[in-house]
Amino acid sequence: MKRTLFAFVVIASLVLAACGGGGGGGATGPIKIGGGFALTGDESALDLPAANGAKLAAKEINAAGGVLGRQIDLIVHDIQYKMDVTAQVAKQFVEHDKVVAVIGFTDTDSVLAAGPTIQKAGLPFITAGATSPKIPTQVGDMMFLACFGDNVQAAAGAEYSFKNFGKNAYLLWDKGVEYTTLLGGYFKSRFTELGGTLVLEDSYDDKATDFSAQIAKVKALPQQPDFYYIAAMPYNIGPVVKQFRDAGLNGPIVGGDGYDTPDLVSVAGPASANVFFTTHALIDATGGTEGIKKFIAAYNKEYGHDPENAFAALGYDTMYLMADAIKRAGSTDAAAVKKALEETNKYPGITGSITLTAQSHVPQKGVTIIAVKDQKFTLGAEVVPDKVPAP
Amino acid sequence: MSLTPDLRRAAGPLAAILGLALALTIVQVSGLAFWQGLLINLGIFLILVVSLNLSNGFTGVFSLGHVGFMALGAYGSALLTLPLREKHDYLPKLPAWLAGLHFDFHLGAFPLGFLAATIVAAVVVSLVALLVGLVLMRLSGHFVAVATLGFLVIVRVVLINADDLTRGSRTFSNVTAYTDLGWVWAWALVTLYVVWRIKRSQFGRAMFAQREDRWAAQSIGIALMPPRLLAFVVGAFFTAVAGSLYAHFITSFSPNAFYFDLTFRVITMLVVGGMGSVSGSVIGAVLVIGLAEALRRIEDVTLLYGLSQIILAVIFILIIIFRREGLLGQREIALDRLFMKGGEAE
Repeated sequence: MKRTLFAFVVIASLVLAACGGGGGGGATGPIKIGGGFALTGDESALDLPAANGAKLAAKEINAAGGVLGRQIDLIVHDIQYKMDVTAQVAKQFVEHDKVVAVIGFTDTDSVLAAGPTIQKAGLPFITAGATSPKIPTQVGDMMFLACFGDNVQAAAGAEYSFKNFGKNAYLLWDKGVEYTTLLGGYFKSRFTELGGTLVLEDSYDDKATDFSAQIAKVKALPQQPDFYYIAAMPYNIGPVVKQFRDAGLNGPIVGGDGYDTPDLVSVAGPASANVFFTTHALIDATGGTEGIKKFIAAYNKEYGHDPENAFAALGYDTMYLMADAIKRAGSTDAAAVKKALEETNKYPGITGSITLTAQSHVPQKGVTIIAVKDQKFTLGAEVVPDKVPAP
Repeated sequence: MSLTPDLRRAAGPLAAILGLALALTIVQVSGLAFWQGLLINLGIFLILVVSLNLSNGFTGVFSLGHVGFMALGAYGSALLTLPLREKHDYLPKLPAWLAGLHFDFHLGAFPLGFLAATIVAAVVVSLVALLVGLVLMRLSGHFVAVATLGFLVIVRVVLINADDLTRGSRTFSNVTAYTDLGWVWAWALVTLYVVWRIKRSQFGRAMFAQREDRWAAQSIGIALMPPRLLAFVVGAFFTAVAGSLYAHFITSFSPNAFYFDLTFRVITMLVVGGMGSVSGSVIGAVLVIGLAEALRRIEDVTLLYGLSQIILAVIFILIIIFRREGLLGQREIALDRLFMKGGEAE
C-alpha cells in the first residue's frame, strides 16, 4: 500500500510539474502555432518528415525576421497516432499552449479527432497531408488543406494511365483504410467516365503481407489488363510491387501518394521499375524544380539527410502558408487569418501553387506524376486533371 | 462516534464518492477542456479495465477480444444518435427503419436519447457476447486467448465490410459530442459497483473457485459455464458502454481505433493493477494514464519522442518480473471498512 501511494504521489507531482510553464500569448512576444504530428506510430513515416519540414520553415521565417515583427514559435506535440491522445493534444494546443493557429497531421482520422476542438476554439487549422476532400465539410469553416484532395490525384492518375497505358485496368485497394478506399473509388469513377473498363476489382486487408490470392485472380483473367491501379499504404507498397513482379506481372503499376516512400525502392529493388504514382512534388536534387532544390539543400543542412518524401515539402509549405496568411491578415486574429487564407491566390509553394477560396478550402493544385526508373524517382509529368470527381 | 455499523460501512464509499464528485465538479466548472478530457479518458479506460477484469481476472479466462465489444458498442450507439441529415449524407444505404431512427429525446436538458442508445447498444452487444461466450467459454488457457483474438479480428473485418452500416474503413464522423465528465463517471461508478458486488457474491466466489482449481470446484458442484458466461456477458455490457462513451467523446472513429493497440493498452493497465482486484484495476488505469501523460510532457521538453512508450514497456516488464500478480494482486482497498472498528468486519 505504502509503495502504491508513493508511486501515486510521484506521478501526480510529475504531472503538475510538467504542466507548469504555459501562459504567454497575446499581441506581443512570439506567435504560437501548434504543430500536431504522429512522430511515433504507424503514420510516422509521413509525419516525421512533415514535422521536420514545418520546423525548418519556421526557422527560416524567424531567421528572416519573423512575421509582423514577431518570431514564430512552432509548438510540436507527438499525437502517437492514437485518437484519444490526438484529441487531448488539440485541447492542449488551445488551453495550455494558447496557440493562434494549428497545422500538421497527414491522415484523415487524426484530423477528424483533433478538428472539433480546434473548430470550437475558432482557430485556423491547416492539415499538411490529409488528402480527403471531405474534411472541410466534416470539420467546419476553419479547416483548410495544404495538399490536393484524393479526387484530384485519382483523376490525374486515371487520365494519365488512360492516355498512356490503355483502356483496361485492374483495380486493387487496401480496404482497411479510408485513404486507399477513397482513392480507389475516385479512380474508378474518373476512369470509367473516360470510357475505360475495369477488368477486375479486388481488395486486400490492411497490413497484409501475402498477395498471392489477388495475384492468382489476375492471372486467371482471360484478358490481361493494360495496367494495374493499386491504392496502397506506404508500408504495403514495397511487398505488393515485389510480389506482382515475382509472379510475372510486369505491366505498369499506378498509384497515389502512399507510394511516396523510400521503402518502395528499398523493398522492391529492381522490381520497382515501371511503377508510376501521383504525388505532391518530386523530391530530387537534380530533377526537381528550383524551389525543391533549395528546400533539399536546406533540409540536408538542418537534418543531415535528404527529405524522405514529399510530405517534408508539404509540412514546409503548410508552415509558410500559415505565416503568409498571418502576414496578410496583419494580425493573429483568427477571423482575419481565416479570411486571408480564403484569399490565398496562387501562393508559390514548393509543392505547387496554392489557391484557396471561401467556397473551396481544398486547394486547386497541380499533380506530379513520378515514374520509377532504375530504382530512382523521376519526373513523369506535371498535370492538372481535366475533370475531377465530386468529393 | 456512535454510528451504527451499517452507516459506518456506508461512510467509506460515500466519502469517496463525495470526494470524487467534488473533484469532478471543480474540473467541470473550471471549464478546462484538457483536464476534463484527461479525466474522461481515465473514466473510459477505468470502465474498460474493470469490465475486462471480470473475465480475465476473476474467471481466469484470458480474453483478448473485449475491444471488439467496445467497437460494436461505439458503432451501435453512434448509429442510433447520429442526426438524420448526417445519416443521409454519410450512410445513404442504411435500411429504412434505421435511417429514420434518431435517439434525440431529451428530458429537460438531459439527453435521454444518449442514455437509451448506450443501453440499447450495450444490451445488443451482451447478446452477441452470450452467443460468442456459449462457444468460447468452453475453452481454457491459451486457447481462449487465441479464440477471443479471433473474435476481435472478425469484428474488425465485419465492420470494414458492412459498408452500408459503418462506412467501412472510412472514418465514421460527426457523432454528437454528448459524453462529458458526469456521464463517464456515473457509468464508471455503476460499473465499479456492479463488479464489486459480483466479486463478493456467490457468483464471484464461483468465478475465483473455478479459476484456482477447476477440478476442485467442479467436484463440489460448481459448474464452469455459468460463472464464466456471466463474467463474459457483464464484461461485454460495460465494455460496450465504454465504446459508446468513447464514440460520443472523440466523435469520429474507424475500425482501426478498436484493435490491437487499444487491446494491449487495456491489458497493460489490468496486469499492472492486479488481475482479480477491482481497486487494482482503478489503480492500474490511473497509474498508466497518469504516467503516459507525464511522460508525454517530458517528451516535449527533451524532444525524445517515443520515450514514453519505452518507459511504459520497461515498467511493465519490471512488474511482470517482480510483482507478477500486479501491484495489488487480488487484494482490495476496502472502502467500506475505512470507518469501521477492528473486529467489526463481516
